[in-house]
Amino acid sequence: MISIDRRIIFLLIALATLLPLLHPFGLPIKVSPEVQVIYDYIENLPEGSVFLLSFDFDPSSKPELEPQAIALLRHAFRKNLRVIGMTHWLPGTALADSIFSRVAAETGKKPGKDYVFLGWSPGAGSLIISMGQDLYKAFPTDYYKNPTKGMPVLEGVRNLRDVNYLISLAAGSAGIEMWYVFGKDKYRFEMGGGSTGVIAPGLYPFLRSGQINGLIGGLQGAAEYETLIARNGTAIAGMDAQSATHMVIIILVLLCNLFYFILRNEKEGPM
Amino acid sequence: MIFFRRQLPLIITFLMGAMFALQYYIPHPVSEGAITAVSNWMQIITGFAMILGIASLFHVHFLKIKRQVPGWGYSLILYLGMIITMIVGFASHGDTTIDGGQTMFGWIYDYTMVPLQATMFSILAFFIASAAYRAFRARSREAAVLLSAAVVVMMGRVPLGQFLLPFTWDITQWLLNVVNSAVRRAILIGVSMGAVALSIKIILGIERSYLGGGKDH
Repeated sequence: MISIDRRIIFLLIALATLLPLLHPFGLPIKVSPEVQVIYDYIENLPEGSVFLLSFDFDPSSKPELEPQAIALLRHAFRKNLRVIGMTHWLPGTALADSIFSRVAAETGKKPGKDYVFLGWSPGAGSLIISMGQDLYKAFPTDYYKNPTKGMPVLEGVRNLRDVNYLISLAAGSAGIEMWYVFGKDKYRFEMGGGSTGVIAPGLYPFLRSGQINGLIGGLQGAAEYETLIARNGTAIAGMDAQSATHMVIIILVLLCNLFYFILRNEKEGPM
Repeated sequence: MIFFRRQLPLIITFLMGAMFALQYYIPHPVSEGAITAVSNWMQIITGFAMILGIASLFHVHFLKIKRQVPGWGYSLILYLGMIITMIVGFASHGDTTIDGGQTMFGWIYDYTMVPLQATMFSILAFFIASAAYRAFRARSREAAVLLSAAVVVMMGRVPLGQFLLPFTWDITQWLLNVVNSAVRRAILIGVSMGAVALSIKIILGIERSYLGGGKDH
């Protein structure tokens, strides 16, 4: 029994993922303080404030970070913030653009006026320094090759010092740490982070020290943000599946340990 | 020639390293202008580094195909994938959409790259579950502590777990914010101290492995 066929485990995981997606049980989502802080900060930004969202991920992290991006964009557009989008991850550029365009179209926001997607540029850390010195030298044009200088959305924005709030949605490096080291520390803007579940625990020291003011971790974080903006999306839908798979893994691990102890006791036997 | 291979890179490293370590503390326009110029250079150099990386990838896989080493078929697929994507990318001028319509390059991105990457990551869930069943055993006290913490965090991070055992939410928050943060911080400080020490050694020319291993080393 301890050496259960792994195809049975695969089948159990597949069922635990699929069944809740087909028949969701919709348990309430509890909001953690680290997600609440980000929501409150955006909620309290005055209309027209500059919000920079850095899509630092590629399609492999889409299921976790796309819902975060959508929820944040919906909130920012609802608050009539001026949104700047960009990415440090070249393979994620088209994905970021499609998320931006979709949410902007849904909320009736216009490119160049209400938001701008700058796309990707090489350099990572040096790109951040360059943006901190002069945004227009770092990005002379946006993703669609329109000149950034003179865009209404960037009125009064010279460099990163003019950004009111920045969130990096990161799946690794380049991401939150780099934005802090090369950006926030020198150019003094407030920033928060969103990340995949697997790297979120590694970001808690930055959260506790105040280097980032909030953290949206994984699909759970995205579901919490969707709850806060009262707009159900794929994260809330996915949480039932994640709940069920977690439970299957926990039961399997507990069973494995039960068999392990039974076998160990049998081996040791009565002396 | 030895001057260009050894002394000159060491001099440049020392000057640039010392200058830009100090630059951080000097908010003068001249100093700011210098960091702007150098960060622009770095962006250009990074761009060239990508070309170098692509060339190196082509070279490595060309040799594998030429020598027909085991698994050379994968190298062939990589070659074809890269060449087709590059041709389509150049033909589409690097655009994934034009006037809201999808280009061929966008089609390749949406219907090959996105699902392939998503699949690679999705199957991890199956392997993790299988590995957890086989390996996550309380063989020692330390393993038992790790196992208990993992079970509590897995329960506390999902609505079903919070519903069945509400206390796991608070324990999870405490584990993440206190225990995890303390340990991670210790690791981060250690790594950062190491990075500072290594940087000083590079700036002072004590650590020279980045120069490569030529005859004169």
